[in-house]
Amino acid sequence: MESRVLKPVLAVYCAAFILFLYGPMIVLAILSFQGAGGGPQFPIIEWSTYWYQHLLGLTPPGRITQLPIGDALLRSLTLAFMTTVVSTVLGVMTAQGFRTRFKGSGIVFYLVILGMIVPGVLVGLGMALFSNMAGVARAWWGTAFVLHVVYTFPFAFLVMLAILNRFDRSVEEASLSLGVSPAQTFRRVTFPMIFPGVLSAMLFSFTLSYDEFSRTLFTSGRELTLPLTIYGTFSVEIYPNIFAFGVLTTLFSFTLLAIYALLMLRAVRKGQAFKGQEAEA
Amino acid sequence: MYDLELNRVGKTYSDGTVAVADFDLRVGKGEFVAFLGPSGCGKSTTLRMIAGFEEITNGDILIKGKNVSSIPPERRPTSMIFQNYALFPHMSVRQNIGFGLDVKHLSKTEKDSKVDRIMDMFGLTPFADRKADKLSGGQRQRIALARGLVVEPDILLLDEPLGALDANLRRVIQNELKLLQRELGITFVFVTHAQSEALGLSDRIVVMNRGRVEQIGTPHEVYANPKTEFVARFIGSNAIIEGQNLSIADGIGAVDTAFGRMRGRPAETVRAGEGVLVAIPAEAMRISRRGAADALPAENRLNGTIAMRHAVGSVQHFQIDLDGRQRVDVETSTDNRDLMQLAVGDAVTVDCPSENVTLVARG
Repeated sequence: MESRVLKPVLAVYCAAFILFLYGPMIVLAILSFQGAGGGPQFPIIEWSTYWYQHLLGLTPPGRITQLPIGDALLRSLTLAFMTTVVSTVLGVMTAQGFRTRFKGSGIVFYLVILGMIVPGVLVGLGMALFSNMAGVARAWWGTAFVLHVVYTFPFAFLVMLAILNRFDRSVEEASLSLGVSPAQTFRRVTFPMIFPGVLSAMLFSFTLSYDEFSRTLFTSGRELTLPLTIYGTFSVEIYPNIFAFGVLTTLFSFTLLAIYALLMLRAVRKGQAFKGQEAEA
Repeated sequence: MYDLELNRVGKTYSDGTVAVADFDLRVGKGEFVAFLGPSGCGKSTTLRMIAGFEEITNGDILIKGKNVSSIPPERRPTSMIFQNYALFPHMSVRQNIGFGLDVKHLSKTEKDSKVDRIMDMFGLTPFADRKADKLSGGQRQRIALARGLVVEPDILLLDEPLGALDANLRRVIQNELKLLQRELGITFVFVTHAQSEALGLSDRIVVMNRGRVEQIGTPHEVYANPKTEFVARFIGSNAIIEGQNLSIADGIGAVDTAFGRMRGRPAETVRAGEGVLVAIPAEAMRISRRGAADALPAENRLNGTIAMRHAVGSVQHFQIDLDGRQRVDVETSTDNRDLMQLAVGDAVTVDCPSENVTLVARG
């Protein structure tokens, strides 16, 4: 009785969810194939890859200038990479520390988590004021980088905490009892086993940093990251070349996800013994 | 010199809970010692203190005369075997077994030959390159043992190593373990809550309860001469009857009970005049039809009726109701034709020679 009502409601909800999730992306993707003379709206006057060529500078110079994204893209990728490395290392180490209860662990936990809860605009503004007072120049690789780490580190930490919570301690103890040092035990036993979690932490850190806006807005200084550059072009006039770029960057994200999925699949296959052991114990 | 010495070892948590207290034990080379007790009695904690995984808050632990109390686990000459095997899932059987040798300064040929030899000994050679998860529980247990033994520890610590195996396999591995220990002459310390394992495997048993040692002795000693009420109730299946006003003469104690005067050997801990408990092993009791045994000289006679009977293999179990006041278990062999004809409700007499009866202190 209940399911006869509930099921269609859930189906409609699900359909709406997917529509709102993918609708905007699909509209952008379609509009990216607009003809040379067309604008950023329907109708499509002519199907072409003109804006993709324009984006890459393959069209003859015209009235509309090329999107200035080359440097910004490089900056954003570098920043995301740096953030990923630092946040993941910090996240793994902190989560490792939280495996044993220590005095004040509750307070430290909330201090770490604060980084992802505090509104980005506030932190960004605060950092800008602070760097002014301290006489530190704002830069995407300095002030912005610090805030990116503050923001993404809690995510990496939480992912690793969840992974380590389910970790069977006796495997590490077995290694220690065989005479292997704690450092070697971490490198050769713990790390290979938590690697799927490390991958997830890296993915989180990378994607969050790559499209971070509000914190970067106040702290990146003169050289802008990709999200800021794209936002900057909106204030002039919007052409379909930005849609073409959106499609490309989405494809890039999908590629990252595919690599993640492949690595994960391998790691999970390797880790199946671990689960088997747990189930039996 | 002892292989292992525990001197008044204790562990108290910061909240004041006492996990283990005043644990005294000396283990000779090649001895097989079992820690036996119900869950939460501190047996695993003690084992983990020997391995170095738990800090001790009182006393000292010595291995081969060297105080290891403050030495980290990786630098103690012990290997631990875990109930869930704790194999490294990302390594092959060979890698698992050779893992502990990697950090030792051995040449590759030396290491390989050690691993080969032990894999051969445990019949693991055919699986050398397989992942551990593709193997059965018994095989995984053998990998864990091989991995722990290949580093040649002074003491092998086993934490309920048979707990995850089914009954048949447990018996097989249990026999292997005993043979292996004799062959290698390595000291084994074995933790279990199953009395059959402790009684069948070990040279000595440490019976533990609530963080304290109740009794240390050979399997026969703890079985036949329980020192405390806990041991009497935990090991074997003893009938326990309350007695008052103990008197001792010529090493034999006599007490007044609700079922008349009973006699037995007093445990060291009891004093004349005290109230004690009479512990009678279920298999030491004789059972006969009421009246039939009157002609025989019998001690510690109890009259009752059969409340329940069932046979397990060659053992016949009776439960005797003693005038509605207490029930006791009696075990006999199914060979005895007369006893096999007894039925529920029949009036019977049970008796037991006083040398098989122990008088232990209460509590």
